[in-house]
Amino acid sequence: MTTGLGRRRYLSAGLLVTALLAYPFVDRAVHAQTIHAVTDAMIYVLLALGLNIVVGYAGLLDLGYAAFFAIGAYAMGLLNSPLLGSPLHGHAWSFWVVIWIAAVVSAIFGLIIGTPTIRVRGDYLAIITLAFGEIIPVAIRNLGDVTIDVGGWRPIERLNLTGGENGVNPVGQPYLPGVPFETDPIPWYFLILVIGGASLWAMNRMRDSRLGRAWMAIREDETAADCTGVDPIKTKLLAFALGASFSAFAGSVYAAKLQAITPGAFEFQVSIMLLCMVVLGGMGSLKGVILGGMLITLFDRLLLAQMTFLVRWIGRSVGIAVLTTVDLTLWRWFFFGLGLVVVMLFKPEGLAVRRVRPRLVEVDEEEEALALTAAAPVPRGEEIPGWLRGPAASRGTPGGGRPVLEARAATKSFGGLVAMSQVDLVIPEGGIIGLIGPNGAGKTTFFNVATGLLRPDSGEILFDGQSIVGLRPNAVVARGIARTFQSIRLFQNMTVLDNILVGEHCRLHATVAGVVLRPPRVVAEEARARARARDLLAFVGLAGKEGELAKNLAYGDQRRLEIARALATEPKLLLLDEPTAGMNPRETEVLTEFIGLLRRELGVSVLLIEHHMEVVMGISDRITVLDYGVRIAEGTPVEVQKNPKVIEAYLGKGYEAELAS
Amino acid sequence: MEWYEVLVQQTINGLTRGAVFALVALGYTMVYGIIELINFAHGDVFMLGLFFSLTFFTLLGMTQTLYGWQLVTVLPLVFLATMLTTGLVNVAIDRAAYRPLRRAPRLAPLITAIGVSFIIENLALLWQGPSPVPYPDIFPSVDVLYEWLGWNTKIFLTTKDLFVVGVSIPLLVSLQYFITRTTWGKAMRATAQDRETALGMGIDVEKTILLTFFVGGALAGAAGLVQGIYYNIGTYYIGYQAGLRAFTAAVLGGIGNMPGAALGGLVIGFLSAWSDQYISARWTNAIVFSILILVLVFRPHGLLGERTPEKI
Repeated sequence: MTTGLGRRRYLSAGLLVTALLAYPFVDRAVHAQTIHAVTDAMIYVLLALGLNIVVGYAGLLDLGYAAFFAIGAYAMGLLNSPLLGSPLHGHAWSFWVVIWIAAVVSAIFGLIIGTPTIRVRGDYLAIITLAFGEIIPVAIRNLGDVTIDVGGWRPIERLNLTGGENGVNPVGQPYLPGVPFETDPIPWYFLILVIGGASLWAMNRMRDSRLGRAWMAIREDETAADCTGVDPIKTKLLAFALGASFSAFAGSVYAAKLQAITPGAFEFQVSIMLLCMVVLGGMGSLKGVILGGMLITLFDRLLLAQMTFLVRWIGRSVGIAVLTTVDLTLWRWFFFGLGLVVVMLFKPEGLAVRRVRPRLVEVDEEEEALALTAAAPVPRGEEIPGWLRGPAASRGTPGGGRPVLEARAATKSFGGLVAMSQVDLVIPEGGIIGLIGPNGAGKTTFFNVATGLLRPDSGEILFDGQSIVGLRPNAVVARGIARTFQSIRLFQNMTVLDNILVGEHCRLHATVAGVVLRPPRVVAEEARARARARDLLAFVGLAGKEGELAKNLAYGDQRRLEIARALATEPKLLLLDEPTAGMNPRETEVLTEFIGLLRRELGVSVLLIEHHMEVVMGISDRITVLDYGVRIAEGTPVEVQKNPKVIEAYLGKGYEAELAS
Repeated sequence: MEWYEVLVQQTINGLTRGAVFALVALGYTMVYGIIELINFAHGDVFMLGLFFSLTFFTLLGMTQTLYGWQLVTVLPLVFLATMLTTGLVNVAIDRAAYRPLRRAPRLAPLITAIGVSFIIENLALLWQGPSPVPYPDIFPSVDVLYEWLGWNTKIFLTTKDLFVVGVSIPLLVSLQYFITRTTWGKAMRATAQDRETALGMGIDVEKTILLTFFVGGALAGAAGLVQGIYYNIGTYYIGYQAGLRAFTAAVLGGIGNMPGAALGGLVIGFLSAWSDQYISARWTNAIVFSILILVLVFRPHGLLGERTPEKI
């Protein structure tokens, strides 16, 4: 069956390639004269594909992407034009050199425009991109005639940097021996076909890689990604830089093909149109973006003109005078707007994305019922993937007593509220420590401080004897602390397998060049990562669900997936924030067993926030009790249960009787 | 003119510009606050406000400067009619293009908003033509400082300037009162914070959203009228630039924050007027947006926006 499917894929791919190769000659043979429009459409498709990296993969709304198009086009224009006396102009091969310079220049601008991402998030970031999109054309217009006048002293007078409103004209063309770029549109078609095809190939590889998964993890949940070892700043900057460099290729071809560029071609409307291409086709789907880009440009360039003929013809045949003089191309923006509204209303996910129906409620109930009677089997020690054991050996013997994490007088306050005051806590290697206390006692705050999400106001957090205060969460994960969240935070729209692979992110090493070129080292690393992920999923009882979207899992499965994702980072210390919340007694029992197994077999230390007293009392070596941010007790479970302060603040008077019964 | 006269003059110009931006910015910020949508069509509603009010004046036969009783009857009447119309237009836009997408992916309504903006702009093009349309000099223009106060100064402050401020401030104040003191305002704030919970508390969320669009559209309409009266000209594409500036103002102030939008509008107004004078009008857009970027880098939630810590 697979071979049949494979053959069909090869067949359709072959047909597509043949069609793409034959198209310009067919077009010429039938005198359709669509090749210019199609070539331009392909330039815009390449732009939209670049934007898709930023918006579709990394989830960063970019409202000023035309700025990169402008930068790419002007880099080509200025370096390959006699206008400003560029030294590169006039050399036969300059186009092929400049196109790479343009990509680098654009990528640098991408980094510059991306830097505010370090501080600014969400729609505010979108506005920053919009602002850059506005600034760049203004700057290009005005830098054509720069005069600095300081009280009559003019250090710079009428300097022309960009050609101003008139733009750059002429722009040099590419040169290949025997290829008539000057006279024939067909070589241009093949030029953009090759560049676009290569870009597509690169993007496809990026998507299915460490890098692509990091982008999507950031898109799904930036905080969770950070706490799973993905560096959000680096990842986002890479999205901006790579997205920008693809647009530079498109801009270069655009400038060379048109042989002239003016600032008007890079206005806000262009950014918006590109965004529409991405969303219309289906964000994040390469096919969708190609479809969206083709539809919009060809609609504009071909369909409206053809429709005008049709409407006039109808007008003449039926005898309606108004119709005979209609020019639909004047109405392009109207129809464009109408098209956007209609498509979005009927297919909000985009044209190329198949609508995923939410699963029926009955199915969920049935699964819940099943889970009650036959909860997932207790994971068994012998099923532990060997690779998880590997590093455990180097962790020394469990219970050796050497502290793995040590908090000394850690304090954190929000405004006037002291969430955590002078908290001391020691987690010995291989130990399980319970952290309990009433709601609002500062337990989760302690987690956030220990994982780098919050910086303590004072005090020290030592991990393996070294301070981790001030490290970003992803750096803390790399050191060996992993966590789960009180309210499950999976990467909802990624598969179960990809969730685990994001967990392995910080243990993988593929670079951008690596994921695109895929040298054997990277291929082997990726294969190993996938094998490991499957082992881990089988171990936690999620075998067979690798391909499902995380959001479609049952509740208990989501909890287990989150723990598995944390384990994938190969932690020495696991912080579990209410892991049994919302679980039935059977599931709770299984999970308790599981935590014990992890410690026993892997030597992982565990810090556990838990409200189920049977769990925390049964499994913890020692327990720390917080109340109003202050540590009120510390000791073995038995000591803590008898501590009058703890009974007063948290357990309640009848607790001991309750336990006894 | 002395340097201080130039400064005062440009500040007055900035104030009137900023007042219009503020009125438009409020509509952006209200809609964003409640459904997290950058309503790209909002600037075009502002443009419609200008043309609707022009139509109303023409229908009433008022194509000359108004005097005496006309000022207190016709002008408020046209104000109300314009605000009502643009408010309803805005509600209609929401019903047709945004409401069906309340549960769709986040960018879907953004794209329909862009689509609606193109549609409105082109309908206005069909209706009013491509060239600038003259707007009658409805409001009497008197040089206040010279003719009323007898000051001998080159600073030019007219009754029109006072009119712009005199319209904007009461609108801003009453909006603030409406949002903070009335039941509907409370419903709007609750819906903006958490739609699900608001629904659970018995708030008719859809009606609240409808009201938000109505109020936002009405303010944009008022701003359009003020713009027409002040500049005496209107073109079908003014909504685009004004919308962009106003949206920038809303973000600058902290999006979702009403006083922030008003403040942002004024700041943008002043900045653009000063930049026109002291740097060069052709750089103004770049200056305004550069300052926007700087403000956001140092205050990532705008001037008055509150940082809401993420619940983990």
